[in-house]
Amino acid sequence: MVEEAKFYAWLDGELSPEEAERVGAAVAADPELSRLANEHRAMTAGLRSAFASVDEQPVPDRLLAAVQDREVEIVDLGQARAARRRLPPIWAQAAALAATLAVGVFTGSLLGSGGSGPITADGGPFVASADLETALNTRLAGTPQTKGAQIRLTFRNKTGAICRTFEDHQASGLACRDGQEWRIRSLFQGPERSATDFRMASGANPQLMEAVDASIDGAPFDAAQEREAMERGWRK
Amino acid sequence: MDSSKAFERDLTELLPRLRRFAHALSRNSADADDLTQATAERALRSREQWQPGTRLDSWLYRIMRNLWIDTSRARIRKGKNEAPEEEAETIGVDPSGAMEAAIELKRAMAALEKLPDEQREIVALILIEGFGYREVAEMLDLPIGTVSSRLVRGRSAMLAMLGGTRDG
Repeated sequence: MVEEAKFYAWLDGELSPEEAERVGAAVAADPELSRLANEHRAMTAGLRSAFASVDEQPVPDRLLAAVQDREVEIVDLGQARAARRRLPPIWAQAAALAATLAVGVFTGSLLGSGGSGPITADGGPFVASADLETALNTRLAGTPQTKGAQIRLTFRNKTGAICRTFEDHQASGLACRDGQEWRIRSLFQGPERSATDFRMASGANPQLMEAVDASIDGAPFDAAQEREAMERGWRK
Repeated sequence: MDSSKAFERDLTELLPRLRRFAHALSRNSADADDLTQATAERALRSREQWQPGTRLDSWLYRIMRNLWIDTSRARIRKGKNEAPEEEAETIGVDPSGAMEAAIELKRAMAALEKLPDEQREIVALILIEGFGYREVAEMLDLPIGTVSSRLVRGRSAMLAMLGGTRDG
Protein backbone atom coordinates (compact mmCIF):
# COMPACT_ATOMS: atom_id res chain seq x y z
CA MET A 1 0.00 0.00 0.00
CA VAL A 2 1.44 3.34 -1.03
CA GLU A 3 -0.03 6.56 0.25
CA GLU A 4 -1.05 8.90 -2.59
CA ALA A 5 1.15 11.84 -1.60
CA LYS A 6 4.15 9.50 -1.19
CA PHE A 7 3.57 7.99 -4.59
CA TYR A 8 3.73 11.38 -6.32
CA ALA A 9 6.63 12.58 -4.18
CA TRP A 10 8.49 9.44 -5.27
CA LEU A 11 7.60 10.19 -8.89
CA ASP A 12 9.03 13.69 -8.51
CA GLY A 13 12.24 12.57 -6.81
CA GLU A 14 11.26 14.24 -3.55
CA LEU A 15 11.84 11.29 -1.19
CA SER A 16 14.94 10.32 0.74
CA PRO A 17 16.92 7.47 -0.86
CA GLU A 18 15.59 4.94 1.67
CA GLU A 19 11.99 5.97 1.25
CA ALA A 20 12.35 6.14 -2.52
CA GLU A 21 13.61 2.58 -2.53
CA ARG A 22 10.69 1.37 -0.47
CA VAL A 23 8.06 3.16 -2.58
CA GLY A 24 9.81 2.18 -5.82
CA ALA A 25 9.65 -1.49 -4.84
CA ALA A 26 5.98 -1.19 -3.89
CA VAL A 27 5.15 0.48 -7.22
CA ALA A 28 7.09 -2.12 -9.19
CA ALA A 29 5.04 -4.84 -7.49
CA ASP A 30 1.74 -3.19 -8.36
CA PRO A 31 0.78 -3.16 -12.07
CA GLU A 32 -1.88 -0.52 -11.53
CA LEU A 33 0.54 1.90 -9.83
CA SER A 34 3.21 1.16 -12.42
CA ARG A 35 0.79 2.06 -15.19
CA LEU A 36 -0.22 5.26 -13.39
CA ALA A 37 3.43 6.19 -12.88
CA ASN A 38 4.12 5.72 -16.58
CA GLU A 39 1.10 7.76 -17.59
CA HIS A 40 2.14 10.63 -15.37
CA ARG A 41 5.72 10.50 -16.63
CA ALA A 42 4.54 10.65 -20.22
CA MET A 43 2.08 13.46 -19.49
CA THR A 44 4.78 15.51 -17.75
CA ALA A 45 7.24 14.87 -20.58
CA GLY A 46 4.59 16.00 -23.08
CA LEU A 47 3.92 19.17 -21.10
CA ARG A 48 7.61 20.01 -20.86
CA SER A 49 8.12 19.44 -24.52
CA ALA A 50 5.11 21.61 -25.42
CA PHE A 51 6.43 24.47 -23.31
CA ALA A 52 10.00 24.01 -24.48
CA SER A 53 8.80 25.55 -27.74
CA VAL A 54 8.33 28.84 -25.85
CA ASP A 55 11.84 29.22 -24.52
CA GLU A 56 13.29 28.11 -27.83
CA GLN A 57 11.67 31.10 -29.53
CA PRO A 58 13.62 34.35 -29.70
CA VAL A 59 12.51 36.72 -26.94
CA PRO A 60 10.25 39.42 -28.45
CA ASP A 61 11.96 42.74 -28.92
CA ARG A 62 9.53 44.61 -26.69
CA LEU A 63 10.56 42.42 -23.75
CA LEU A 64 14.25 42.98 -24.36
CA ALA A 65 13.47 46.67 -24.68
CA ALA A 66 11.62 46.64 -21.35
CA VAL A 67 14.82 45.48 -19.67
CA GLN A 68 17.31 47.43 -21.71
CA ASP A 69 15.52 50.75 -22.22
CA ARG A 70 16.08 51.23 -18.56
CA GLU A 71 19.75 51.77 -19.29
CA VAL A 72 18.83 54.63 -21.58
CA GLU A 73 16.69 56.30 -18.94
CA ILE A 74 19.50 56.59 -16.45
CA VAL A 75 21.87 58.16 -18.94
CA ASP A 76 21.30 61.88 -19.32
CA LEU A 77 19.87 63.03 -22.59
CA GLY A 78 23.01 64.84 -23.78
CA GLN A 79 25.11 61.76 -23.25
CA ALA A 80 22.58 59.63 -25.03
CA ARG A 81 22.62 61.97 -28.03
CA ALA A 82 26.39 62.02 -28.12
CA ALA A 83 26.47 58.26 -27.98
CA ARG A 84 24.07 58.09 -30.89
CA ARG A 85 26.19 60.41 -33.00
CA ARG A 86 29.14 58.10 -32.53
CA LEU A 87 27.30 55.24 -34.21
CA PRO A 88 28.44 54.38 -37.71
CA PRO A 89 26.43 55.97 -40.50
CA ILE A 90 22.96 54.55 -40.73
CA TRP A 91 23.53 53.39 -44.30
CA ALA A 92 26.50 51.28 -43.34
CA GLN A 93 24.39 49.68 -40.65
CA ALA A 94 21.49 49.18 -43.00
CA ALA A 95 23.68 47.45 -45.54
CA ALA A 96 25.22 45.18 -42.94
CA LEU A 97 21.81 44.36 -41.57
CA ALA A 98 20.09 43.80 -44.85
CA ALA A 99 22.81 41.47 -46.01
CA THR A 100 22.11 39.13 -43.16
CA LEU A 101 18.48 39.91 -42.50
CA ALA A 102 17.11 37.19 -40.32
CA VAL A 103 15.40 36.73 -37.02
CA GLY A 104 17.49 38.45 -34.42
CA VAL A 105 19.17 41.02 -36.57
CA PHE A 106 17.34 44.08 -35.37
CA THR A 107 18.14 44.81 -31.82
CA GLY A 108 17.06 48.12 -30.42
CA SER A 109 20.64 49.01 -29.56
CA LEU A 110 21.76 48.80 -33.18
CA LEU A 111 19.14 51.31 -34.12
CA GLY A 112 19.97 53.69 -31.33
CA SER A 113 17.47 54.68 -28.71
CA GLY A 114 15.44 56.93 -31.04
CA GLY A 115 13.82 53.84 -32.42
CA SER A 116 11.11 55.42 -34.52
CA GLY A 117 13.27 56.43 -37.48
CA PRO A 118 13.05 54.05 -40.38
CA ILE A 119 16.01 52.29 -41.84
CA THR A 120 15.17 52.20 -45.48
CA ALA A 121 17.10 50.84 -48.37
CA ASP A 122 14.98 52.31 -51.13
CA GLY A 123 16.23 51.00 -54.42
CA GLY A 124 19.33 49.65 -52.75
CA PRO A 125 20.84 46.35 -53.80
CA PHE A 126 19.95 44.70 -50.54
CA VAL A 127 18.53 41.25 -50.93
CA ALA A 128 16.79 38.87 -48.58
CA SER A 129 18.93 36.30 -46.82
CA ALA A 130 18.09 32.60 -46.73
CA ASP A 131 15.53 32.60 -43.90
CA LEU A 132 13.61 35.59 -45.14
CA GLU A 133 13.85 34.40 -48.73
CA THR A 134 12.28 31.09 -47.76
CA ALA A 135 9.48 32.92 -45.99
CA LEU A 136 8.89 35.21 -48.97
CA ASN A 137 8.92 32.31 -51.40
CA THR A 138 6.78 29.83 -49.52
CA ARG A 139 4.47 31.54 -47.08
CA LEU A 140 0.97 32.74 -47.83
CA ALA A 141 -0.09 36.11 -46.51
CA GLY A 142 -1.72 36.06 -43.11
CA THR A 143 -0.60 32.57 -42.17
CA PRO A 144 0.33 32.60 -38.49
CA GLN A 145 3.95 31.66 -37.88
CA THR A 146 5.65 30.65 -34.71
CA LYS A 147 9.08 31.22 -36.16
CA GLY A 148 10.52 33.62 -38.67
CA ALA A 149 8.77 36.18 -40.75
CA GLN A 150 5.08 36.46 -41.33
CA ILE A 151 3.89 37.70 -44.70
CA ARG A 152 1.21 40.35 -44.54
CA LEU A 153 0.42 41.58 -48.06
CA THR A 154 1.21 40.60 -51.63
CA PHE A 155 0.73 43.04 -54.50
CA ARG A 156 2.06 44.17 -57.87
CA ASN A 157 3.98 47.44 -57.98
CA LYS A 158 3.94 50.06 -60.70
CA THR A 159 6.80 48.39 -62.58
CA GLY A 160 4.87 45.11 -62.63
CA ALA A 161 7.05 43.33 -60.05
CA ILE A 162 5.51 41.25 -57.28
CA CYS A 163 6.09 42.73 -53.84
CA ARG A 164 5.36 41.35 -50.40
CA THR A 165 5.41 42.88 -46.93
CA PHE A 166 6.92 40.86 -44.13
CA GLU A 167 7.14 41.17 -40.40
CA ASP A 168 8.81 39.30 -37.64
CA HIS A 169 8.87 40.30 -34.02
CA GLN A 170 11.71 42.73 -34.57
CA ALA A 171 11.35 44.24 -38.01
CA SER A 172 8.96 44.76 -40.85
CA GLY A 173 9.58 45.64 -44.43
CA LEU A 174 8.79 45.46 -48.09
CA ALA A 175 10.54 43.16 -50.56
CA CYS A 176 10.03 43.06 -54.33
CA ARG A 177 10.97 40.30 -56.70
CA ASP A 178 13.77 41.15 -59.08
CA GLY A 179 14.90 38.24 -61.23
CA GLN A 180 15.80 35.43 -58.87
CA GLU A 181 16.03 37.61 -55.81
CA TRP A 182 13.86 39.40 -53.33
CA ARG A 183 15.19 42.93 -53.02
CA ILE A 184 14.51 44.80 -49.81
CA ARG A 185 12.82 48.08 -50.67
CA SER A 186 12.01 49.28 -47.17
CA LEU A 187 12.92 48.10 -43.76
CA PHE A 188 11.57 49.28 -40.43
CA GLN A 189 12.27 48.48 -36.87
CA GLY A 190 9.49 46.37 -35.38
CA PRO A 191 6.48 48.25 -34.05
CA GLU A 192 7.06 49.77 -30.67
CA ARG A 193 4.70 47.97 -28.40
CA SER A 194 3.70 48.66 -24.89
CA ALA A 195 1.76 46.25 -22.79
CA THR A 196 -1.50 48.05 -23.44
CA ASP A 197 -1.36 48.81 -27.13
CA PHE A 198 0.26 45.55 -28.15
CA ARG A 199 -2.64 44.05 -30.02
CA MET A 200 -3.62 47.32 -31.61
CA ALA A 201 -0.11 48.02 -32.77
CA SER A 202 0.51 44.52 -34.01
CA GLY A 203 -1.15 45.39 -37.29
CA ALA A 204 0.91 47.21 -39.84
CA ASN A 205 3.61 49.77 -39.34
CA PRO A 206 2.17 53.05 -40.71
CA GLN A 207 5.44 53.90 -42.44
CA LEU A 208 5.40 50.52 -44.13
CA MET A 209 1.83 51.13 -45.23
CA GLU A 210 2.93 54.45 -46.75
CA ALA A 211 5.66 52.64 -48.66
CA VAL A 212 3.06 50.17 -49.93
CA ASP A 213 0.67 52.95 -50.93
CA ALA A 214 3.42 54.69 -52.84
CA SER A 215 4.31 51.68 -54.94
CA ILE A 216 1.16 49.55 -55.27
CA ASP A 217 -0.58 49.25 -58.62
CA GLY A 218 -4.24 48.42 -57.98
CA ALA A 219 -5.31 46.35 -55.00
CA PRO A 220 -3.44 43.77 -52.91
CA PHE A 221 -3.72 40.19 -54.15
CA ASP A 222 -6.45 37.97 -52.83
CA ALA A 223 -5.62 34.41 -51.83
CA ALA A 224 -6.19 32.98 -55.32
CA GLN A 225 -4.03 35.62 -57.03
CA GLU A 226 -1.33 35.07 -54.46
CA ARG A 227 -1.34 31.33 -54.98
CA GLU A 228 -1.14 31.80 -58.73
CA ALA A 229 1.80 34.20 -58.35
CA MET A 230 3.57 31.68 -56.14
CA GLU A 231 3.06 28.95 -58.72
CA ARG A 232 4.57 31.21 -61.36
CA GLY A 233 7.66 31.64 -59.20
CA TRP A 234 6.78 35.26 -58.40
CA ARG A 235 7.72 36.34 -61.92
CA LYS A 236 6.32 39.54 -63.41
CA MET B 1 30.41 45.18 -14.63
CA ASP B 2 28.50 47.14 -12.02
CA SER B 3 25.69 45.52 -10.09
CA SER B 4 22.96 47.33 -12.00
CA LYS B 5 24.24 46.07 -15.34
CA ALA B 6 24.71 42.59 -13.90
CA PHE B 7 21.13 42.61 -12.71
CA GLU B 8 19.87 43.58 -16.16
CA ARG B 9 22.03 40.94 -17.79
CA ASP B 10 20.75 38.24 -15.43
CA LEU B 11 17.18 39.38 -15.94
CA THR B 12 17.64 39.27 -19.72
CA GLU B 13 19.00 35.75 -19.49
CA LEU B 14 15.98 34.66 -17.49
CA LEU B 15 13.44 36.12 -19.94
CA PRO B 16 12.98 32.88 -21.93
CA ARG B 17 12.12 30.98 -18.74
CA LEU B 18 9.86 33.76 -17.50
CA ARG B 19 8.01 33.72 -20.82
CA ARG B 20 7.58 29.98 -20.49
CA PHE B 21 6.06 30.31 -17.03
CA ALA B 22 3.89 33.18 -18.27
CA HIS B 23 2.57 30.96 -21.06
CA ALA B 24 1.62 28.32 -18.49
CA LEU B 25 -0.36 30.90 -16.53
CA SER B 26 -1.95 32.81 -19.42
CA ARG B 27 -4.59 31.97 -21.95
CA ASN B 28 -2.66 33.14 -24.98
CA SER B 29 0.76 34.35 -26.06
CA ALA B 30 -0.16 38.02 -26.12
CA ASP B 31 -1.28 37.90 -22.48
CA ALA B 32 1.83 35.89 -21.62
CA ASP B 33 4.12 38.51 -23.12
CA ASP B 34 2.21 41.30 -21.39
CA LEU B 35 2.70 39.47 -18.10
CA THR B 36 6.40 38.92 -18.80
CA GLN B 37 6.88 42.58 -19.61
CA ALA B 38 5.02 43.70 -16.49
CA THR B 39 7.20 41.32 -14.45
CA ALA B 40 10.43 42.67 -15.93
CA GLU B 41 9.33 46.25 -15.31
CA ARG B 42 8.29 45.50 -11.74
CA ALA B 43 11.58 43.69 -11.10
CA LEU B 44 13.60 46.65 -12.37
CA ARG B 45 11.66 49.05 -10.19
CA SER B 46 12.03 46.85 -7.11
CA ARG B 47 15.54 45.60 -7.68
CA GLU B 48 16.72 46.85 -4.28
CA GLN B 49 14.38 44.33 -2.69
CA TRP B 50 16.23 41.41 -4.20
CA GLN B 51 18.98 40.13 -1.94
CA PRO B 52 22.15 39.23 -3.81
CA GLY B 53 23.10 35.69 -2.97
CA THR B 54 19.50 34.48 -3.09
CA ARG B 55 17.99 32.99 -6.21
CA LEU B 56 16.99 35.65 -8.71
CA ASP B 57 14.83 33.19 -10.64
CA SER B 58 12.65 32.36 -7.62
CA TRP B 59 12.26 36.05 -6.85
CA LEU B 60 11.18 36.81 -10.42
CA TYR B 61 8.78 33.89 -10.56
CA ARG B 62 7.22 35.13 -7.37
CA ILE B 63 6.74 38.61 -8.83
CA MET B 64 5.19 37.14 -11.94
CA ARG B 65 2.87 34.93 -9.96
CA ASN B 66 1.69 37.83 -7.80
CA LEU B 67 1.06 40.04 -10.84
CA TRP B 68 -0.82 37.21 -12.46
CA ILE B 69 -3.02 36.75 -9.39
CA ASP B 70 -3.79 40.48 -9.42
CA THR B 71 -4.68 40.56 -13.10
CA SER B 72 -6.66 37.36 -12.95
CA ARG B 73 -8.76 38.80 -10.14
CA ALA B 74 -9.32 41.90 -12.21
CA ARG B 75 -10.30 39.70 -15.13
CA ILE B 76 -12.85 37.83 -13.06
CA ARG B 77 -14.34 41.14 -11.93
CA LYS B 78 -14.59 42.33 -15.50
CA GLY B 79 -16.16 39.09 -16.61
CA LYS B 80 -15.26 37.17 -19.69
CA ASN B 81 -16.20 39.84 -22.22
CA GLU B 82 -12.70 40.35 -23.45
CA ALA B 83 -11.02 40.02 -26.76
CA PRO B 84 -11.39 36.43 -27.91
CA GLU B 85 -8.35 34.25 -27.93
CA GLU B 86 -6.52 34.40 -31.21
CA GLU B 87 -6.99 31.25 -33.21
CA ALA B 88 -4.74 29.68 -35.76
CA GLU B 89 -7.34 29.67 -38.50
CA THR B 90 -5.08 29.03 -41.41
CA ILE B 91 -2.54 26.30 -41.25
CA GLY B 92 0.16 26.66 -43.85
CA VAL B 93 2.73 24.18 -45.02
CA ASP B 94 5.46 24.25 -42.45
CA PRO B 95 8.13 21.61 -42.90
CA SER B 96 10.03 22.70 -39.79
CA GLY B 97 7.50 21.20 -37.39
CA ALA B 98 7.00 24.59 -35.78
CA MET B 99 3.27 24.38 -36.45
CA GLU B 100 3.06 21.02 -34.72
CA ALA B 101 4.85 22.47 -31.72
CA ALA B 102 2.44 25.40 -31.71
CA ILE B 103 -0.54 23.05 -31.68
CA GLU B 104 0.91 21.03 -28.80
CA LEU B 105 1.50 24.22 -26.87
CA LYS B 106 -2.02 25.45 -27.51
CA ARG B 107 -3.45 22.18 -26.30
CA ALA B 108 -1.33 22.23 -23.15
CA MET B 109 -2.26 25.85 -22.45
CA ALA B 110 -5.97 25.09 -22.92
CA ALA B 111 -5.76 22.21 -20.42
CA LEU B 112 -3.90 24.32 -17.85
CA GLU B 113 -6.46 27.08 -18.20
CA LYS B 114 -9.16 24.70 -16.98
CA LEU B 115 -7.36 24.16 -13.66
CA PRO B 116 -8.20 26.34 -10.67
CA ASP B 117 -5.52 29.05 -10.30
CA GLU B 118 -4.06 27.55 -7.14
CA GLN B 119 -3.47 24.23 -8.88
CA ARG B 120 -2.32 25.73 -12.16
CA GLU B 121 0.54 27.71 -10.63
CA ILE B 122 1.82 24.66 -8.78
CA VAL B 123 1.58 22.33 -11.77
CA ALA B 124 3.46 24.93 -13.82
CA LEU B 125 6.20 25.52 -11.25
CA ILE B 126 6.86 21.88 -10.45
CA LEU B 127 6.04 19.88 -13.56
CA ILE B 128 7.01 22.42 -16.23
CA GLU B 129 9.57 24.67 -14.54
CA GLY B 130 11.16 21.88 -12.51
CA PHE B 131 11.18 23.51 -9.08
CA GLY B 132 11.17 21.30 -5.99
CA TYR B 133 8.25 21.12 -3.54
CA ARG B 134 10.13 23.05 -0.88
CA GLU B 135 11.22 25.79 -3.27
CA VAL B 136 7.63 26.26 -4.38
CA ALA B 137 6.33 26.23 -0.81
CA GLU B 138 8.76 29.04 0.03
CA MET B 139 8.02 30.95 -3.16
CA LEU B 140 4.27 30.89 -2.54
CA ASP B 141 4.35 31.03 1.26
CA LEU B 142 2.44 27.79 1.58
CA PRO B 143 2.93 24.72 3.78
CA ILE B 144 4.62 21.96 1.83
CA GLY B 145 1.63 19.66 2.44
CA THR B 146 -0.63 22.16 0.65
CA VAL B 147 1.75 22.29 -2.31
CA SER B 148 1.80 18.52 -2.46
CA SER B 149 -1.97 18.06 -2.29
CA ARG B 150 -2.70 20.79 -4.88
CA LEU B 151 -0.14 19.21 -7.16
CA VAL B 152 -1.84 15.82 -6.88
CA ARG B 153 -5.22 17.28 -7.78
CA GLY B 154 -3.84 19.44 -10.59
CA ARG B 155 -1.76 16.77 -12.27
CA SER B 156 -4.59 14.20 -12.02
CA ALA B 157 -6.90 16.64 -13.80
CA MET B 158 -4.22 17.28 -16.43
CA LEU B 159 -3.79 13.55 -17.00
CA ALA B 160 -7.54 13.18 -17.46
CA MET B 161 -7.54 16.00 -20.05
CA LEU B 162 -4.35 15.25 -21.93
CA GLY B 163 -4.00 11.49 -21.47
CA GLY B 164 -0.80 9.75 -20.57
CA THR B 165 0.62 9.41 -24.05
CA ARG B 166 1.83 11.95 -26.56
CA ASP B 167 -1.00 11.13 -28.93
CA GLY B 168 -3.58 10.47 -26.23
